[in-house]
Amino acid sequence: MEAVQNASKKSAFSDYRVRLSCIFMGLGQLFCRQFIKGALLMLLEIGFILFLVFAGVENIIGLFTLGTTEGVPIMGIEGDNSVSMLAWGITTVVLVLLFALAYYANIKDVVYTVGEIEKGNRVKNFFESCQTLLNKKFYFLTLTLPLVFVCIFNVMPIVFTALVAFTDYGGEIVPPKLVSWTGFQSFRVIFTMSEYIGTMGKILAWNVLWAVGSTFLVYFGGLGLALLYNAKCLKWKRFWRVFPMFAYAIPSFITLTGFYFMFCDSGPIVGLLKDWGWVKENFTIISYDSKWSLRLLGFFCCAWVGVPSVMFLATGILSNASKDMYEAARLDGANAFQQFRYLTLPFVLFATTPVIISTFINQFNNFSIFYFLRPETVYAPGYFNANSSDLLINWMYNLTVENRLYSLGSALSLILFAFMALFSLVAYVTSPAYKKEDTYR
Amino acid sequence: MTKKIHIRPEKAVKTALVYLLVLIVSFLFAFPCIWLVLSAFNAEGDLLTLEGFFPQEYSFDTFRRLFTETNKYTYWRWFGNTFFVAAVSCIISTFLVIAVAYTISRYRFKSRKAMMKATLILGIFPNFMNMTALFVIMTQLHLINNLWGLILLYSSGATMGFLVQKGFFDTIPGTIYDAATLDGASDFRVFISITLPLSKPMIVYTALTSFVWPWADFMLPSMLLVDKSSWTVAVGLNSLDDSEFSIFAAGSMFVAVPIIALYVALSKYLIQGGSAGAVKE
Repeated sequence: MEAVQNASKKSAFSDYRVRLSCIFMGLGQLFCRQFIKGALLMLLEIGFILFLVFAGVENIIGLFTLGTTEGVPIMGIEGDNSVSMLAWGITTVVLVLLFALAYYANIKDVVYTVGEIEKGNRVKNFFESCQTLLNKKFYFLTLTLPLVFVCIFNVMPIVFTALVAFTDYGGEIVPPKLVSWTGFQSFRVIFTMSEYIGTMGKILAWNVLWAVGSTFLVYFGGLGLALLYNAKCLKWKRFWRVFPMFAYAIPSFITLTGFYFMFCDSGPIVGLLKDWGWVKENFTIISYDSKWSLRLLGFFCCAWVGVPSVMFLATGILSNASKDMYEAARLDGANAFQQFRYLTLPFVLFATTPVIISTFINQFNNFSIFYFLRPETVYAPGYFNANSSDLLINWMYNLTVENRLYSLGSALSLILFAFMALFSLVAYVTSPAYKKEDTYR
Repeated sequence: MTKKIHIRPEKAVKTALVYLLVLIVSFLFAFPCIWLVLSAFNAEGDLLTLEGFFPQEYSFDTFRRLFTETNKYTYWRWFGNTFFVAAVSCIISTFLVIAVAYTISRYRFKSRKAMMKATLILGIFPNFMNMTALFVIMTQLHLINNLWGLILLYSSGATMGFLVQKGFFDTIPGTIYDAATLDGASDFRVFISITLPLSKPMIVYTALTSFVWPWADFMLPSMLLVDKSSWTVAVGLNSLDDSEFSIFAAGSMFVAVPIIALYVALSKYLIQGGSAGAVKE
């Protein structure tokens, strides 16, 4: 069997049409009398060559040099902008890779067509090829556009950031000054200066605690509420669900700013507690050196903001649970608790594993909560450019936006990214939803 | 089975407990909202003028100022911008997310698991670190101060969250698809006439979340919209002083209204079960 396949592969590449397509995209297709497809492919290659000649080659060289002439704005000399050269260099590399992929697909296509001709089958015309795309390769159709979007707006910035970690971009060195490649310099700085390591350790520990705690709170809070509102004895379910819906509907920047006003020194809560004499005169919840009071407030606000969305999702999933399953369980004499323990919980856990993971990641990177709860930027002693309630992402913000330490921030985020990626991959791969995708089909 | 006429005491206790819990939860969710609404009617703008939780004197003055002092607050402009960005992003993202999630859930192809893992890894990357890079890229594409730039970012960002919808599609019984394919329906037909009607709750959920994100987001607009005329409500309200607390509260009220209205109109789909009873084995 294998020998036959090898023989047919060999003969495929000895065919002149396949060779023609290897030399120039679409040429072989033309000779297979697939004129429209061939012409389109040839146009694609011509367009790509034109792009390379007019911009592509220059962009790739720019990626390595990051600019050679420094601009002096006062004297009107327009130099190279290293940062935009970096961006265009990456784009060009991505385009070249995509083109290589298209080239590969083009060869595969012509090999297939030639094989069909040799078998004596009729060659598909353009309309029929489109039909095949709609039917057999439905996934190709639906995934292409999102993939392009994600490449430009999600992958590109990450690659950019990863590359910036190996340059000296930031601090004094921003355009029009020329940026240059410095290898592992930023990583060396992070691992040799104790203030970075100390701050990273403290913030990382708090960040992990925060992510685990808030995910637990939000997920089980949401699940609990969904079950509570699903209780048979509860009347006017639609009415009661309106209250968590308020929390869901109000944008979190409003909620968090609102909570800040409510709990700040001049706000009603602190004022009332003082009036009632329950706390001392110097009591504060949010101040520049408050640590645990602000952290606990963070947990409260996070639950208020996050629980409703999990609740609605869990309600939807609960309603999707097969009614037959419960009927069978009831006939077998299972009580309410047993039904929950052996039917509802496994089913909901199965269907919401991605929710747990995305909640965890969102909470790990929850920028807004402590950004809005502690509006003024004050740095705590023992921390480098951070405060005790800051999460890693707030620290990154301080490093890059407030202090423009781009390459250091990028290097730090690379280290943390490696840590996070490993963690969630392991979590996801060992989760029931990944292992037994088809259990509930 | 015979119906029992009298209520068993344990059931009564359970019912009472459920109602007590529901009341507590409702209060916890309602109180901050009521507080914010009442503060909007505070006759004086400052936070310090509240007596305990509530204003001493109520008036419509804040609203008058919000809408008439157009040199300070171009509120309707901000509102229109926000609505445009959120509505267009919602349509595009819902379409993309559902298509991607369905494809990944239903088809088995070569790079499928790799794509799922890659999505996961991309999602972990701290959003904020991309921002410097995003700013540079958007500048290169001339999408600064441009609402379409935001729409593109939200749409591609929402697509990354398809794993939730995929989890939902995984729970639709595969036997439904097999039956349709046996009847000779094409894959496209199957998607349009079987999957979509079955997943109404999920589509509504997707549409709602992809509307809420752009509507409520602060970080991206504050970075990409420099011009005051292109601001969204989030950026506009955040530019207000601390002493303008009641202006903030009044402006916030109008931001919550469209989403609450949407939810009330669509709520039955959120809860409704899709696939129960579609396949009888």
